[in-house]
Amino acid sequence: MANGGESLRGALGEAALPAGIAVSSAGARSESPLRRAIHRLRKSTTAVIGVVIVAALLLVALFADALAPQSPIANDQTQTFARPSFGHPLGTDQLGRDMLSRVIHGTRISLLVGVSSVLLALFVGVPLGLIAGYYGGRVDSVVMRTMDLILAFPIYLLAIILMVIFTPTAGLIGTIKVTGAIAIVRIPIYARLVRGSVLSIKEKEYIEACRALGVRDPLILARHVLPNCLAPIIVTTTLGIATSIIVEATLSFLGLGTQPPTPSWGWDLKANVAFIQANPWLSLFPGLAIFVTVLGFNLFGDGLRDALDPRLK
Amino acid sequence: MRTYVLKRLVQIVPTVLMITFVVFVMMRSVPGDPVVSVLGDAYTEEDAIKAREAYGLNKPIVVQYFIWLGKLVQGDWGASILTGRPVLQDVLIRLPVTLELIVLSMFVALVIAVPAAIIGALRQNTWADYTATTAAMIGVSIPEFFIGVLLLLGFSIGLGGLLPSSGWVYLPGTCPSIVCRASLWGNTQHVLMPAFALGVGRAAILTRLLRASMLEVIRTEYVTTARAKGLSERPVVFKHALKNALIPTVTVMGLQVGFLIGGAIVVETLFAMPGLGTFGIDAIVARDYQQVQGFALITALAFVVINLLVDLTYTFLDPRIRYA
Repeated sequence: MANGGESLRGALGEAALPAGIAVSSAGARSESPLRRAIHRLRKSTTAVIGVVIVAALLLVALFADALAPQSPIANDQTQTFARPSFGHPLGTDQLGRDMLSRVIHGTRISLLVGVSSVLLALFVGVPLGLIAGYYGGRVDSVVMRTMDLILAFPIYLLAIILMVIFTPTAGLIGTIKVTGAIAIVRIPIYARLVRGSVLSIKEKEYIEACRALGVRDPLILARHVLPNCLAPIIVTTTLGIATSIIVEATLSFLGLGTQPPTPSWGWDLKANVAFIQANPWLSLFPGLAIFVTVLGFNLFGDGLRDALDPRLK
Repeated sequence: MRTYVLKRLVQIVPTVLMITFVVFVMMRSVPGDPVVSVLGDAYTEEDAIKAREAYGLNKPIVVQYFIWLGKLVQGDWGASILTGRPVLQDVLIRLPVTLELIVLSMFVALVIAVPAAIIGALRQNTWADYTATTAAMIGVSIPEFFIGVLLLLGFSIGLGGLLPSSGWVYLPGTCPSIVCRASLWGNTQHVLMPAFALGVGRAAILTRLLRASMLEVIRTEYVTTARAKGLSERPVVFKHALKNALIPTVTVMGLQVGFLIGGAIVVETLFAMPGLGTFGIDAIVARDYQQVQGFALITALAFVVINLLVDLTYTFLDPRIRYA
């Protein structure tokens, strides 16, 4: 088997070559399409701002324990509703918890759910789209009708009911539940996107060449079809993370996200709206954090789209 | 045209049946038993069995669904397990509140987006365009509830309680009981912030889409022709460019309905409005099966009817599109 795989790879490399040349001869010969895309991405100021925001947030999430001045869940009954001060730059909430530490730790939930729900949706949706598009016929009908069923639902109705079924809890388990609920409602987006690309790619001559050489379907799908529909997947993924973060914050806001004491921006914002009259900053900062995070991924995604597909600009 | 509409109306039926059936099954797979919360402290195993029989909860799920459906076609939406109130009555009381919110928020979205998109497209790469696109980028990145919080901070707290932060005053004539208040001015005060909170995000999406399709359309030959034959800028922009640019925009706005329903739930929760959104989320969380079914039904109906309206809008925007 292993040997067969090796020799196939050699044959495939040659079979894929004409297509590769056709692409690169359209532009500068010395530069790969990836290089040109990165170059275009770097020239866009907004995309760079997006990348910087996303990178900074990743660092905050990774080093939350070191960055946060206090524990995000430690109550202090002597310090409830403290105004912003040197000790508590963003004040404290009704349980005396340091808001800055909660906002910093909230980055983890937001990014974790945002990124992993999209990855999970990709992991299920992309293979489904590949198979449906490539094989067509009955397989296509069954897969796509199932996807249409999910899409026929207003997204929030489905996500809310799923969360009620999963019963929201705190900590890692709670985070996994939210991730699962968001991933389920997002799967059809990737399945449809990939299926659409596959339908046109599978008619290309290089795929026919692979078939003629006797390459097996899984290999054709993985090495020739998938790489050619990557550009729209990458763009939709980045923008999808922004949407997933908003959905997570919204579920949290409705009390159906990760449960307290785990710090979550949506929950913190909602919990503090009740005290908005006397302590307006408590709702302001979690909200700002959500906004900046979503903005970062949106700017990055927009920049990627322009870089990967200049025709759209 | 008429046959097309009829055909589409018939197609609505299976979609609505499917959505309500899936919701029906999903709600019954939620862990826990609503009978427990109905009986409360007086819970005994014997009473629970009796209650389950009374609500028909001991029958197989599919049978329960068809019983619900059978009553529905006779105009009976069932009664809440928890309050005993007829579901249809509650839905009809709450529907006008949500309709007003959604219609006004779409109005807000159009009033902001159409001028912003036109200016952005006609003066591409000028300061006006950059301002419009930046504002739109910010708009798509703010969740509705945070816009709501910012509005609360500005108009309810900042300006000394200019607008009320929660509650509702009905439009004259829509007041469901003798205890509620109804006045046009009071209603306007209460609906302004929620409508803006929900509308601003739609405005941002609409601006981005419409600007992009305007940019494509104003480079087409028929727009050049319209200009060349001496038409002034106004009919060129509105009759030739905008109308055609609206087609892809309307499609995407139709797809946004699912998000609009979520937005309504969030905004109604934030401003404590007695609309369908708060009705739905309360029913789902309390596992009030009958109320959830009522909410799913009205949501599914709204969803498919709006998508039908979107398709019919095409024929108005582009008379070449005909439905046989």
